[in-house]
Amino acid sequence: MDITKQRRIQEHPILGSYEKGRVVHFTLDGKDMEGYEGEPIAAALKASGVMTHRYTAKHHKPRGVFCAIGRCTDCVMIVDGIPNTRTCITPLKEGMAVQAQYGVQTKEEWEASQEAKDGE
Amino acid sequence: MIGAGPAGLSAAVEAAEAGMRVAVFDENAGPGGQLFKQIHKFFGSRDQNAMIRGFQIGRNLLARAEAAGVEVFLNAPVMGIYKNHEVLVKIEDESVHFKGDNIIIAAGAAEVMVPFCGWDLPGVMGAGAAQTLMNRHGVLPGRKVLLVGSGNVGLIVGLQLLQAGCELVAVLDAAPRVGGYGVHAAKIARTGVPFLTSTTILEAKGDGKVEKAVIRKVDSRFQVIPGTERELDVDTILMAVGLSPMTQLASCAGCDVEYSDQTGRLSCITVTDEFCETTVAGIYCCGDFRMETAEGASSAILQGQIAASHIAEQAGYITGEECGARIAKCQETLRQMSGGMFSVKNKGRVDPTETDEGYPISRSLLERGYIAEEELQNYPAASYEAEGVHPVIECVQNIPCNPCRDMCARKCILVNGDITNIPLVDQTKKCVGCGLCVANCPGQSIFLIDKTSIPDYAAVSIPYEFLPLPEEGQKGTGLDRSGAPVCDALVMSVKTSPAMDKTAVLTMKVPLKYADSVRFFKAEGGAE
Ligand SMILES: Cc1cc2nc3c(=O)[nH]c(=O)nc-3n(C[C@H](O)[C@H](O)[C@H](O)COP(=O)(O)OP(=O)(O)OC[C@H]3O[C@@H](n4cnc5c(N)ncnc54)[C@H](O)[C@@H]3O)c2cc1C
Ligand code: FES
Repeated sequence: MDITKQRRIQEHPILGSYEKGRVVHFTLDGKDMEGYEGEPIAAALKASGVMTHRYTAKHHKPRGVFCAIGRCTDCVMIVDGIPNTRTCITPLKEGMAVQAQYGVQTKEEWEASQEAKDGE
Repeated sequence: MIGAGPAGLSAAVEAAEAGMRVAVFDENAGPGGQLFKQIHKFFGSRDQNAMIRGFQIGRNLLARAEAAGVEVFLNAPVMGIYKNHEVLVKIEDESVHFKGDNIIIAAGAAEVMVPFCGWDLPGVMGAGAAQTLMNRHGVLPGRKVLLVGSGNVGLIVGLQLLQAGCELVAVLDAAPRVGGYGVHAAKIARTGVPFLTSTTILEAKGDGKVEKAVIRKVDSRFQVIPGTERELDVDTILMAVGLSPMTQLASCAGCDVEYSDQTGRLSCITVTDEFCETTVAGIYCCGDFRMETAEGASSAILQGQIAASHIAEQAGYITGEECGARIAKCQETLRQMSGGMFSVKNKGRVDPTETDEGYPISRSLLERGYIAEEELQNYPAASYEAEGVHPVIECVQNIPCNPCRDMCARKCILVNGDITNIPLVDQTKKCVGCGLCVANCPGQSIFLIDKTSIPDYAAVSIPYEFLPLPEEGQKGTGLDRSGAPVCDALVMSVKTSPAMDKTAVLTMKVPLKYADSVRFFKAEGGAE
């Protein structure tokens, strides 16, 4: 999502404007996204209205940001191929590939494993 | 030092200034712990950072730590503490071992949760999470928000949601009364946000994310009352139902931990003595991690100073006498701060009926978050009449705070004796209407009223911390303490100054008969 259309606070009565890095591009499940360099990945996702970060392994239930300070692990995603990355405390960088996490797998891996299970 | 929040930093400063060599580890990319998301003016006394906004207190502490030569390691989570004071730290994907003669654990607390159907849906978050998103990262946590829990953290976050531009649909509490300071609640109530006490959340509903909240009334034994369900359209549900100290590192180090209800609810805490030392010699803990006295950053700072003074004395860096004097001073301040009706010892007590001064308690403030007009007469500083401009102080609970007294150059305002006493107005002194008390009262509970200068009208000055800032000559509506529209209002002036630190003082003209009712301004056409 274009950065100017995101859910961001333009001017705050106490904090004024926010100090941000340059605008960077990254992908979410292959889709183009924008955010500010150095902000937590989860902040950029929240600003773009993304709610689901992962699906739980057993019950396949969606999870999103919950504590925003790295305590609860609800926000973990696959970042540049590394699963279980806490996106609320991992700084955003240009060109990052972010993927929703299914259990501890990518969507493709998870779907493949479901099919294998069904085949059994 | 483990944790670079207010407790860890103040301990580090104290120890380093005594001449000790100090290393601080924090897992975050920036220091300050929870302080940098706290944008409200602090309560307390002036030597305890009162009136200063949390992030500024953090900056001041950091500058002192730097000047004292404290070494701060960031992105450095401590993974364990072992025998002989061995500390294992992860630094850039490597495990590094450190040893300290003394260790202070100041790793903070975590937000607690209450389970309900759908509590795991995306869109249900900790109130602290919303605070982090808004105030550190400038990102809106949601558009239509329900806040569950009316303790001070909840109330502070509630106001910050409004400042960030979110719609706050309601504040719920299962208890029959608002848990935090009435003055914090009143700031939210007068913008029109309803407080629903004796009400709990039953369910969060939605397809993959929060779309509705189902709430229900509860009785005095917290049992849900059938048939009282209501659905609210919200996209975000924030839980502010308490903090629980973290004890993992203390257990790992072999310190005794125990279940205790001294925080007001049963939680696991680390056993410490009066100097914050654990049952393992040389290992201390303080701040939210210890959570013994009044919660909050001011108490964390004082505990850090106590622990560090004790260590400095034990290691021979300061004399016993010096140490004793420092600790006594901190403990006296802690004692004063933890007095009053919100003190730990008073939590969970049956509702008091009178203030320490013998005034009746405002029931409306406890149940609905604002003082009812007919209750005002019970409080001298809120109800006296005077010629010309004068302060009206709607601070009616015993809370530890007194900067109003120091702000008034004319000495119109008195807080006698204990810091928890309710402010009084000295009517022999003449107010000049400078507005510094209005802007600097952390509870935003002081107003200037002038009923005699304009025929048939009154001038009412209120603290105002929202954008867009109204302009002189702007028309709008005067709202009462519950946020209900009362009358037309015209902005006469909007004062800002560095001494007011981002709190504007808005003066509006309202018909004389509404002078005691109007406490907020809503611009015509726009949101508040
Ligand atoms: C989310 C949240 C919001 C709050 N908002 C308010 C508010 O608005 N107003 C108010 O009065 N109080 C608020 N509080 C209470 C607040 O905790 C205290 O005011 C104060 O910040 C406590 O200071 P501290 O130094 O004990 O802990 P903290 O400020 O929490 O600092 C602890 C630090 O230790 C770090 N740490 C933890 N574990 C490790 C480890 N293993 N290795 C390395 N570092 C570690 C943490 O990341 C953190 O930086 C809030 C608390 C929380 C949790
Ligand atoms: S939201 Fe809790 S760890 Fe990221």
